[in-house]
Amino acid sequence: MTETSLATLSNQLADAAAEAGAAIVAVHARPRMPSTGVHWQDGIVVTTDGTIRREEGITVTLPNGNSAKATLAGRDRGTDLAVLRIPAGSLPVAGLGDPASLRPGHLVLALARLGDDGPRVSFGTVSAVGGAWRCWKGGEIARRLQSNLTVYPGFGGGPLVDATGRVHGINSGGLSGAFATTIPVETVDRVVRQLLDRGYVARGWLGAAMQPVRFSEAAATQLGMGSDGGLIILSIEPGGPAATAGMLIGDVIVMLDRQPLDDINQLLRALSGDVVGKSLHFGVVRGGALVPVDVLIGERPRTRP
Amino acid sequence: MTTTFLSEAAERLRLSVARIVSGERANGMGAAIAWRSGLFVTSAHVVTSPRVHVMTPDGRTVPGEVVARDVHRDVAIVRVPGARMPVVQTADPATLRPGSLVFAVGHPFGVVDAVSAGVFQAVGWLPSGLELNKERLRWVQADVRLGPGNSGGPLADSEGRVIGVSAMILAGLALAVPSTDVDEMLAGV
Repeated sequence: MTETSLATLSNQLADAAAEAGAAIVAVHARPRMPSTGVHWQDGIVVTTDGTIRREEGITVTLPNGNSAKATLAGRDRGTDLAVLRIPAGSLPVAGLGDPASLRPGHLVLALARLGDDGPRVSFGTVSAVGGAWRCWKGGEIARRLQSNLTVYPGFGGGPLVDATGRVHGINSGGLSGAFATTIPVETVDRVVRQLLDRGYVARGWLGAAMQPVRFSEAAATQLGMGSDGGLIILSIEPGGPAATAGMLIGDVIVMLDRQPLDDINQLLRALSGDVVGKSLHFGVVRGGALVPVDVLIGERPRTRP
Repeated sequence: MTTTFLSEAAERLRLSVARIVSGERANGMGAAIAWRSGLFVTSAHVVTSPRVHVMTPDGRTVPGEVVARDVHRDVAIVRVPGARMPVVQTADPATLRPGSLVFAVGHPFGVVDAVSAGVFQAVGWLPSGLELNKERLRWVQADVRLGPGNSGGPLADSEGRVIGVSAMILAGLALAVPSTDVDEMLAGV
């Protein structure tokens, strides 16, 4: 007979909820139902962009029931994240886990705070994990993390918590469908850093439009390419990074940083990283020869919604 | 007593849960809990006429009568002298912490004695923003999947002690009448 009992598991889950719950707040930034925020760093609360309906007069309810003023430090529609500043030392900082350690079948909790009572809990299992993906809002998410649990009203912006109370990311109501979708720690860290630095997430910009093309096998072999396709440049923004670097209409991009490139998503992924102001090394086919072109990546012009 | 598997707690609790039909109609079936000797608890919206029949886990159909019915609180007390079923143990839901395991027994969508498991969220008023809050009733709120036919059935802790009577689903959330409210009502019967 083992010592493991159902009551033990029940207590562990309640302990996990209590530990992670000590680092979450209710965010009052929309009418009626509050949403949830995670105290990510001292004085910094992360929630989902979709639950922020007003940018002024935001307050949070702390675990002790007290209310505190919050100011919006920045928001990113693409990854559905928003960052608030609150007075330092208001509550414990969340203990972060490593989302790479989560596997399908692990028990997980989603937490919320909806007022001055205890944390709210939803229970389930990790359903799917995977590599980087681009969500329908346009943001680049470092890994797929989906769970079989209910994101109840007010749970958006709350943490996904493992059975030991570690926080693995922020649950997004807007990105969740049949399964709850969590924005993993890596992506939250990246977006928080950028939002605190400049108030928005800068996305890399090449200033060129292109489409995929295929070469004949013979041409690919002759050029010594790793794949038989590339991206042909159809137009170039005057004065943009591609133009400045001397790229021409009709060039076919076949390499990026010495790796074969034939998929537009591959390029978009590279541009969504921390690349603004840095050089990317392209290989382009021009006039039957492979030519190296270094492009100083610019910042994609922002259009206010 | 240590419970190792949910199935053990569920098996025990199922012995105290009956099906119940109200009047002549065989549809609109709900669940009823053997709370005290000869006295069953169910939801008021399950029993709409004074005469009822309960179907016991061992397959008998036994007549009974509604002795108290609080529509506002959605609880009814039914006297079924011939049921001869073991009564439940109860616990105060206020002793549970958020995240504690709970499970429900009922007959959702006509599936007899179905068990669904989840976690406890809170006991008290509903969060602001959810309607139905005007009456300021206290509810056990849990992350458990309920369906029509769970009404009147138990919501229990990991040891199988009944903490509430399943009443409804609101925004996906399971709502149950706290066992303490039921005991108060029973005191007046």
